[in-house]
Formats: sequence, structure tokens, C-alpha cells
Amino acid sequence: MTASEAGVVVPVKRSVTLRQTVGYVIQRALDRLADGEEPVVHFVVIASWRADDPGSTADRRQADDLLEQVETWAQFDLDESDVDPDSITIETAVIGDDDYHFSPTDYADLLAEYAVSHGITNVVVDPEYSLVGHTTLLQPFEFELQQRDLAVEEAPVDRPTRRGQLVRRDSPARFLALFGGSFLFYQILGGFSGLFDIVTGLATALVVAVALDNVSFYRDPTLTESPKRLARGLIYAPYLLYEILVSNLVVARVILDPRSKIDPRLTRVRFFVGSGLPLTTLANSITLTPGTLTVKADNQQLYVHSLVPFARDGLFDGALERWVRFVFYGREAARFPSPRDRGDTEILQDPDADEPTTNGPETVADGGVDPNPADSQEADQ
Amino acid sequence: MMATARIGLIGVFLVLGLFFTLVSAVGVIRLPDVFSRAHTASQADTLGAGFALAAVALTLGWQSAAVKTVLLLLFIFITNPTAAHAIARAAYEEGVEPWTTGDDRR
Repeated sequence: MTASEAGVVVPVKRSVTLRQTVGYVIQRALDRLADGEEPVVHFVVIASWRADDPGSTADRRQADDLLEQVETWAQFDLDESDVDPDSITIETAVIGDDDYHFSPTDYADLLAEYAVSHGITNVVVDPEYSLVGHTTLLQPFEFELQQRDLAVEEAPVDRPTRRGQLVRRDSPARFLALFGGSFLFYQILGGFSGLFDIVTGLATALVVAVALDNVSFYRDPTLTESPKRLARGLIYAPYLLYEILVSNLVVARVILDPRSKIDPRLTRVRFFVGSGLPLTTLANSITLTPGTLTVKADNQQLYVHSLVPFARDGLFDGALERWVRFVFYGREAARFPSPRDRGDTEILQDPDADEPTTNGPETVADGGVDPNPADSQEADQ
Repeated sequence: MMATARIGLIGVFLVLGLFFTLVSAVGVIRLPDVFSRAHTASQADTLGAGFALAAVALTLGWQSAAVKTVLLLLFIFITNPTAAHAIARAAYEEGVEPWTTGDDRR
């Protein structure tokens, strides 16, 4: 038995059962040590951010804090046992912060790459480990890891409660934001007309907040960041209206002028705006602008149907992408090369080709099952 | 004087709203396939409904009902692209080939 076979990789993320998982891993390492092996334990954080994003330093710091905490726990468990603490090697790492990751496949690829480069074939997973924040994608993740010839084991831990798929743990911030939002909306609709409205409004807002608290917000609203996003969204709105006006006029001309010809093409553009709400905002903005229509979202790639070259050029120049980055991440994030400059654009239907669609719908249509589970991420909102 | 200007502006907004709705209708008839038609169908919702609602808000004047028309527009701006995307995506997944210049129809 070589030393490397005694190695184990543990992907970590803050969870109620993380402490127990660490305890189990250390206990197993101690057993291995008793069998005369040289156990190595790797605790790994898989990044959900990109290193060059604004705000990523805070994410990075949180990850480092978590790893430090895990190491402290592990060290404590080792000290509790009677063995020499140096006989078990503990390593920590943050991986995958060079890109956004979405699907269990992405995560499994990263972890497998890390494991292989350290000559490890064993993975222990915390049963409460969550991939993309809220959805429990653990089983597909474990399946993908097994496909990559890794031995996967769930740490046997006591769990307080089992959460449903969409439902997230309660949070006062989310509850209050939803309650306040619905109350304000009720008052606007009622025209701020007195005590009766306030009482019924409070009751209605309470029902809404209790019923929808778990599915409303993607993450907790904060007093610092959320108002800023809202304000930047208000700056974005007039620009979007202007864009809609301009492209409406262009498309109206194309439609009404009998001599003008349309030149529709399906294009594929890779955007960097972050998953979830930012991507949904971008896709909706693209569709709102006449001349461009989001057909499909595939991770960060949007399949966009464009009607005329004018609309296509605007899309590839990436003004909307920069604006969405501005709304969600602030001004410095808006300085970003356009998709055209990055080489992230692709026209799927070559004008001279006999077969118009090179990488087209048939593959999806014939397969019946969508090969990419992360496709449906826009539905998560 | 102010009243005349306001009625004039309401008229202009209504005509513009009608114009873009007309363009959208013509587009749905003239354009060749489901994808390009989805483009122009959204025009009626954005500027067509947009100008019509602006005219309504102007008619109502400064009262809470005017705020509701703005909210209406906001919700249209959220639901309209979602619906257009749903149609286009359904067509794509069914394997409908987007029409391009060089195809014989049109």
C-alpha cells in the first residue's frame, strides 16, 4: 500500500454537519495510520466566484477563513487522539476560481483534476454539502465523481432536518425584505389611503412573506449592497428604454420598407455576468431589444437569434453585458472587453454554407433528454 | 394652453403606440419563420404598450392610478421577454431551423 492511496479529498462548504464530517475524516485517517499507512487529508473549497470579479476578495477571504476553521477542528481532533500530530498530513486549497461553475459536471471535473494531480482516489462528502448555494445537487455530483473513477463516500453524520429542493433555511433579512416589499406594493396599489389599508396591508404582507419566504430571494439582501444594486438598476432603466427605442425604429424600418431584406442568424455568445439573476436580467434585456432574441441559455452561453446585422453588431459589442455587470457588481466591473474582443461570439449559421445550422437544434431535439442539466438554471429564479 | 399641450402630447403618444403595434402586426405577417416573428411580436408589447400606457398616465395626471400604469409597464417588460423566450426555446428544442437568407421561402 503506497502513501498516496491513503489520501482523501474532502470538498468543504459551510454546513451544519461540516464539523461532524471533519471529525469522521480525521477518525478514518487515524484508523489508516493504525494500519501502517501515511494518511493525507485535503480539504478543498471549490470557488463559486471568479478571481477577477469585484467583490471576489471577500469571497476568497471567507473561503480562507472556512479552511482555517476546518484545519483548527482537524488539529483539535488529532490532539485529542494519542498519536503524533505530524503523522497525518492536512492540506487545504481553493480551486476553480478562474471561471464560473454551474453544473455537478463542472464541480466534479475540478475536484477530479485536483485529486488526480495529487494521486488521490478517495473522496469523502459532507451530506449537507451544497453545490450552487441552494439546490441539493449532491447525488448528481457524487455520480459524476464515480464516473471519474473516484471512490465516493458520504460521511455518516446526524442531520437535524432534511431540507427540500427549492426551500432554503429561514433568514430574517429575507423575510423582512419580502414583508416590507409586499407591504409597500400593497400601499402603492391602494394609494396610501388610511388605516384600513395599513391593517389589511400588514395582514397581506405577512401571508406573502410566510408563504414565499423560502423561494423569493436567491441570497440574503443586505443593507449595503442591495440598495446600491437597486439604484444602479434605476440608472440602467433609461438606457435600456433608449436602446429599445433605437432598435425598434431600425426593426420597424426593416419591416415596413419593401426593399429591405432581413438577414437572420442564430448566434452563440459567451457572457460573463454570473449565474442566476444577472444572467436572467441580461437575457431578458436582450429579448426586450427588438432584433435580438434569446433562444436558449446554456451555462453562460446564450443562443441569441438576431434579425439584422445592426442588432448583431450591438449584441457583439456587449453594451448590455457591461451594463448588467455595472448593475450587479458596480462601476469597475463595467470596464470589460466586449464579447467580440474576447472572441466569445459565434455565428452558428454560415451565410455560404449549404447546411445552414452547423451546431444546431437537431442534437437536442433527437436526444429527447437535454444533455446539460444546468440548462434549466434560468428557471431557478 | 397647458391643457392643449397635454392633449396634443397624449395624441402623439397614442399615435406612436398605434404605429408600433401596426408595425408589429405587419411584421408578424411578413416575416418568414417563428424566430423572426417572435422579434416583432415583442415590439407591440414594448413600445406599442409603452406609448399607450404613457398616454394613459398623462391623461390620468398626477394621481396614484398613474403610478399603477408605470407598474403595469414594468411587469409587461418582465413578462414579455420571458414569453418570447419560451416560444423561441420551444421552437428550438422541437428542432425548428431558423430561416436564413438563401432559403427559398419569403
